[in-house]
Amino acid sequence: MHESLIRTPLVTGSPTMHDITEDICRPVEGKPTKAWWIGFVLATLGFLLWLYSVGYTMTVGIGAWGLNRTVGWAWDITSFVWWVGIGHAGTLISAILLLFRQNWRNSINRSAEAMTLFAVICAATYVVSHMGRPWLAYWIFPLPNQFGSLWVNFNSPLVWDAFAISTYFSVSLLFWYIGLLPDIASIRDRAKGLRKKVYSFFSFGWTGSIKTWQRFEAVSLILAGLATPLVLSVHTIVSMDFATSVIPGWHTTIFPPYFVAGAVFSGFAMVQTLLLIARKALKLENYITIYHIELMNIIILVTGSIVGVAYLTELFIAWYSGVEYEQYAFLNRVSGPYWWAYWSMMTCNVISPQLMWVKKLRTNLAFTFLISIVVNIGMWFERFVIIVTSLHRDFLPSSWAMFYPSLYDVGVFVGSIGLFFFLFMLFIKFLPSVAIAEVKLLLSSSSEEAKKRKAAKEGKQYEFSPEKGSVVIAATAAAARKGDDHE
Amino acid sequence: MEELENTPEFQAAQKREFAEDLPVQALLSDVNQETVTPRRGFLKMLGFGASTLAAAACNRTPVKKAIPYLVKPEEITPGVPAFYASALPDGYSVLVKTREGRPIKIEGNPGCPVSKGGVDAIGHASVASLYDNTRLKGPKMNRTEASWDDIDQVIISQLRALDGEGKQAVILSPTIISPSTKKLIGEFIEQYPNVQHIQYDAVSQSAVWKANRQSFGKPVVPAYRFDRADVIVSIAADFLGTWISPVEYSKQYVHNRGQRALKEDKKMSRHYQFESALSMTGTNADARVPVKPSQLGLVTLALYNEVARITGGTSVQAPELPEIAAEKVKQAAKELAAAKGRSLVVCGLNDVAVQEVVNSMNVLLGSYGKTIDLENPSYQYRGDEATLSALVNRMNGGKIGALFFYGVNPVYDFPQAKAFTDALGKVKMKISFSDREDETAAYCNIIAPDHSPFESWNDYQPRADVYVVGQPTINPIFNTRQVQQGLLAWMQRGEEDYHDYIRAYWEQEVLPAAGGSRGPGDAGENWEMLLKRGFAALPPAAPAAPAFSGNISALAAEIKAAAGKQESDLELVLYQKVGLRDGRYANNPWLLEMPDPVSKVTWDNYAALSPVTAGELGLKQNDLVEVKAGGHTVELPVLIQPGQAAGTVAVALGYGRTACGKAGNGVGKNAYPFVELAGGNYRYIVPASLEKTGKTRELAQTQTHHSVEGRDVVRETTLEEYLQDNNAGSQPKHDHGQLKVDHQEDKPFYSLWDEHPKPGHHWAMAIDLNSCTGCSACIISCSLENNVPVVGRDEVRRRRDMHWIRIDRYYAVDEENPENIEVTHQPMLCQHCDHAPCETVCPVLATMHSSDGLNQMAYNRCFGTRYCANNCPYKVRRFNWFNYANNDKFEYYMNNDLGKLALNPDVVVRSRGVMEKCTFCAQRIQAGKLNAKMERRPLKDGEIETACSSSCPADAITFGDMNDPDSRVSRLLKDERTYYALEELNVQPGIGYMTRVRNKPAPEEELDHHEYYHMKEKKTHQENIYKDLLRPETY
Repeated sequence: MHESLIRTPLVTGSPTMHDITEDICRPVEGKPTKAWWIGFVLATLGFLLWLYSVGYTMTVGIGAWGLNRTVGWAWDITSFVWWVGIGHAGTLISAILLLFRQNWRNSINRSAEAMTLFAVICAATYVVSHMGRPWLAYWIFPLPNQFGSLWVNFNSPLVWDAFAISTYFSVSLLFWYIGLLPDIASIRDRAKGLRKKVYSFFSFGWTGSIKTWQRFEAVSLILAGLATPLVLSVHTIVSMDFATSVIPGWHTTIFPPYFVAGAVFSGFAMVQTLLLIARKALKLENYITIYHIELMNIIILVTGSIVGVAYLTELFIAWYSGVEYEQYAFLNRVSGPYWWAYWSMMTCNVISPQLMWVKKLRTNLAFTFLISIVVNIGMWFERFVIIVTSLHRDFLPSSWAMFYPSLYDVGVFVGSIGLFFFLFMLFIKFLPSVAIAEVKLLLSSSSEEAKKRKAAKEGKQYEFSPEKGSVVIAATAAAARKGDDHE
Repeated sequence: MEELENTPEFQAAQKREFAEDLPVQALLSDVNQETVTPRRGFLKMLGFGASTLAAAACNRTPVKKAIPYLVKPEEITPGVPAFYASALPDGYSVLVKTREGRPIKIEGNPGCPVSKGGVDAIGHASVASLYDNTRLKGPKMNRTEASWDDIDQVIISQLRALDGEGKQAVILSPTIISPSTKKLIGEFIEQYPNVQHIQYDAVSQSAVWKANRQSFGKPVVPAYRFDRADVIVSIAADFLGTWISPVEYSKQYVHNRGQRALKEDKKMSRHYQFESALSMTGTNADARVPVKPSQLGLVTLALYNEVARITGGTSVQAPELPEIAAEKVKQAAKELAAAKGRSLVVCGLNDVAVQEVVNSMNVLLGSYGKTIDLENPSYQYRGDEATLSALVNRMNGGKIGALFFYGVNPVYDFPQAKAFTDALGKVKMKISFSDREDETAAYCNIIAPDHSPFESWNDYQPRADVYVVGQPTINPIFNTRQVQQGLLAWMQRGEEDYHDYIRAYWEQEVLPAAGGSRGPGDAGENWEMLLKRGFAALPPAAPAAPAFSGNISALAAEIKAAAGKQESDLELVLYQKVGLRDGRYANNPWLLEMPDPVSKVTWDNYAALSPVTAGELGLKQNDLVEVKAGGHTVELPVLIQPGQAAGTVAVALGYGRTACGKAGNGVGKNAYPFVELAGGNYRYIVPASLEKTGKTRELAQTQTHHSVEGRDVVRETTLEEYLQDNNAGSQPKHDHGQLKVDHQEDKPFYSLWDEHPKPGHHWAMAIDLNSCTGCSACIISCSLENNVPVVGRDEVRRRRDMHWIRIDRYYAVDEENPENIEVTHQPMLCQHCDHAPCETVCPVLATMHSSDGLNQMAYNRCFGTRYCANNCPYKVRRFNWFNYANNDKFEYYMNNDLGKLALNPDVVVRSRGVMEKCTFCAQRIQAGKLNAKMERRPLKDGEIETACSSSCPADAITFGDMNDPDSRVSRLLKDERTYYALEELNVQPGIGYMTRVRNKPAPEEELDHHEYYHMKEKKTHQENIYKDLLRPETY
């Protein structure tokens, strides 16, 4: 495959194929590090907190939370949408970027997809736990039943939601697992004893033959095609949970694009958070380069700006509509008792990503890490603002009320983060967190080493500085004499 | 092996199904069909049978108790309610709905001359008091259970010993309006001459009858006729809420103000209210003037002077009033005098001198015989607290040998409770008839618990010309005994039945008198017929206009002196709340959870302060303060009450019970110790001071935002404008033409959906905001009808009240004069929208529309996503956050076997995790439809009433079939005053509201222009100015 020299290399240093296998399999095959143990124990504690909080809520009722008759959704649906949004980056990276042949995705797609799955699992737990009678959650599906001709309400966005989320989860799981097969097989081939048996089972008899690879490529492409509309549909439908209602602040046609952009925004921020940690902890600097980080920061900048425009549009339309309830809803967001939530959202989501215009900042790891956290805080507040400040003061002032979270609200949310990391820690321990096969694919064309070789062949001198992310291609002395260009 | 070798034997054997031949022939032969059972066969059968039975019996079959009727009583059909005419202790005739022998609901008796079918919140809630499991299960003597015989012996011997000891016995009771009981007590006193009967009312109105004794020589509380009054001036009388006979007065009041008056008479009464704290009556006034409590007497004098000036009476010396009050007094007097004979002045101050001036004013206005009836007086509130104080002295002097507490609780409600309990120590025998071990009963040797009114025969005479009979509707639940039966027993007439006693009394005294005016064959004269009807009306005495005989100048001097004494920087006014009144029913969870009609606070009393005073004192809502007056101190949270007079703190009586039961113990603080006894009357106005404690206590309010923010969900107009154009005020603030088909106002809104056909019935409701007084009887009635749980203070504080109907109360504040406010009450319940936003969003179709216009809830199908509640623009959906039944955390009434008897078996008790809301009483609609079907006739309008519409004492709620063009509701919905809340959302609500019409006094010429324009401006409810004070959200 031809690749221009000036493209930034996607693998730095000069690893061989075998080095890649070694580097990526190390965390899976070796003894867990101290850092992993600390992370795992913390995550497990969070998971236990989640178990307790959700268990208590399910035992006594939703009354354990701070909801009331005016505010029927608060932290539950806020966190649900937050997790679903986070779950968007995975599919975007794996599907859309695959279709667009953005090869830089190869080294980050695995963990992004895993993150998607775990985020969707966290979201799904909210779907069940926010219900008054969670043991009947299966009623959301149009299953054959003995209640007569009882069907679900296809008008309800919650039903669409159930379809959207479950489809998204299954396609993402499939996509992720198919991608994992060659890598599991690699581990299988290197393992012994029980490990070998387990990995053999999960590699589904991968042979590594040309035919297998061919089919693998075909399936990946088909799944990517299938998953692409899902990236847009899932959050569109989640946004319809609000947009189809009559509540001022919810009843807005801008929601679908605005939610999708917000989801990609938060998802990339979460990928960023996780990758920066994994890169450091698992020593994957050669595969997850500054260039990757920078590209993702650019996406964060773009989607953050879209979200910012959406916020301003909402305010404008509220004013322009002339509907007093709509106007009050937005006035109340900006200046009501929850003004701090609105302005936290504005600061985190609109102002802070704008700093990414500065190249120095978007290639700075510490800054990127900070922004990635800030963005996700902001995105949580965005959903909180949409849900709580719209509900708490709607049409009849007699029913206006405040929402105060209970300890269980906090417990379930913090616990869900615990659950997420619990799953993620298990993932990086037992599965390769970077797609070995796909990174190897880059080695021949897009790695620093390959480019150097190519340059040498063309008689050019190739220099790459990972810190600056800059490529300098100079004609060698001989070529210069021939009058070749200097790029 | 055989199979392997395939022997012929095997082949043969394989062809046969059985190895041996069955004895078919033998079986079919006659041998086995013998009738004689062989001995062995018999034993076999016996053994098998016995062992099978034994084996089957090992499994314990669950015993399900169905309806335990061996012989079904004739009048009880399971599943079909039976209604009995009975009566409430207030003296109103009611219908008690019983199911399978237990009363579950109270309905007004439309024929009752006093209540005219109205029942107040307390009346509705009384069912819960019947099934209160704190009630005593049987009599007690010296703290231990005793038998009635033992108790009778002890009491009789004590009564007999009184003479020897030279002591007296006293029966202490509230005002007794039962004629038979009065007669019986009379006979009891005849037999035991040492017995004396003392009546006192915990919250007294004795100044009224005392003033009438002074003015006219008639010690009576007159009957008031608000329905005949075109101009009403009330001086601190909460006559719609708590004063003397509120249900009666509500009916009368609304008669002159509701749809009928506006449409037919083209007029409505004008109501002036001078008061200190904002009462429910004050919220309904057309002109309300907040006045410091000490000034109320002076307002009366000023009003008298003005009336006297116009009508030619003698005027008196009276000090100047503040400007606004003086203006309004002048205006009121002018209108009173102009409507001579059609005007009425009432006063709620328990001050004889003030009441006498009011009497004299009413004489000048010609009210007697027209709007005030002295000849057919009310028999309520005839107690005299002065005798109680005298009793304490006699107790201390050792003169009292026995004390019977009948329906009173002086240890709780006597202001000098300590003095009373000390004096109790000197009484040898104390007998309480309380149904629970209350504060007073705790000091008694004997507790002889009385029946609940539902368990006993009663009769009442609320007004001289009205007799009401109360029949029992349930067998006594516990080993209790009606007090009257006890009196008979102690008179050695134990075998006489009190029922027979009442009947004899009625047959001798009442029925002949009642029947006299009615022809023979009329229902009036027969006891059985009477029980069916519930009441008997006597021909009323002819009206008369008495002459006033009092020294008005002496009274004026007295009033001035009293005002001087009461005047202070901060004046404490003690009042009763509509829900709890004097605290008698303080263990009733429904009443405790009923939001106060004005403040919307539940489960607490509080120190209400005007925003101005609170600002001056640096106090915010929920700050705990010490209220100090007359050496007594209580710690109460502050409530900022717009409309309250500055320099006033208002505290409700009836709270702070310590021994009433689990629900009511420790709710609020007891304010009775603040009450002063002056001139033989309890005074509810005392100088006080406040001290900040630095602590807070969050009040459980069901509404925390009090301004309607200029939204047109509440629409109002003035009478003046209404008479010019009946459409005044009912039109939307915004032009909706753009939203309608072809942009034409008379077309419907654009809609995404095709309209559903609406064949048959289409249930709808019309609510007249001009009639609704805010009394909240509908809330309790609905809760009882629909098994709405009581959730307790903490849950209400979290805004999780479960009431299916609420009354939204909005204040509009005059920015110039913040004391001057206008209040609107808006009952809010499920609007049964035809385009219901809740229905489209439910994922499982748990809420959907019926073909007759109901928005239905299938509780079984609901799994609790709460989306419907979020999407409800009216926020009327209620979620079961917890399991409220069978949950120790919510031990109010759904948690014990006894309390559960109050549940309506026609309505399911909701489990946790499901949504619920108003159903328009679907069970009543169904019952009504079935009834009509069985009688093979179409439904009649008014046949089906919802719990709220049937209970409304103000007839503000009309329910019916919108598809029937002649139904009352159809006509009301077509009225010019009707509008729909949030109609621009095109949810097509099924409830029409009718504008509030204010009969504001026309501005006088003397009135300065600024104020005039201000009143003009303030037509709609605008932003209120107490943003920081009134919104607890912001702190």
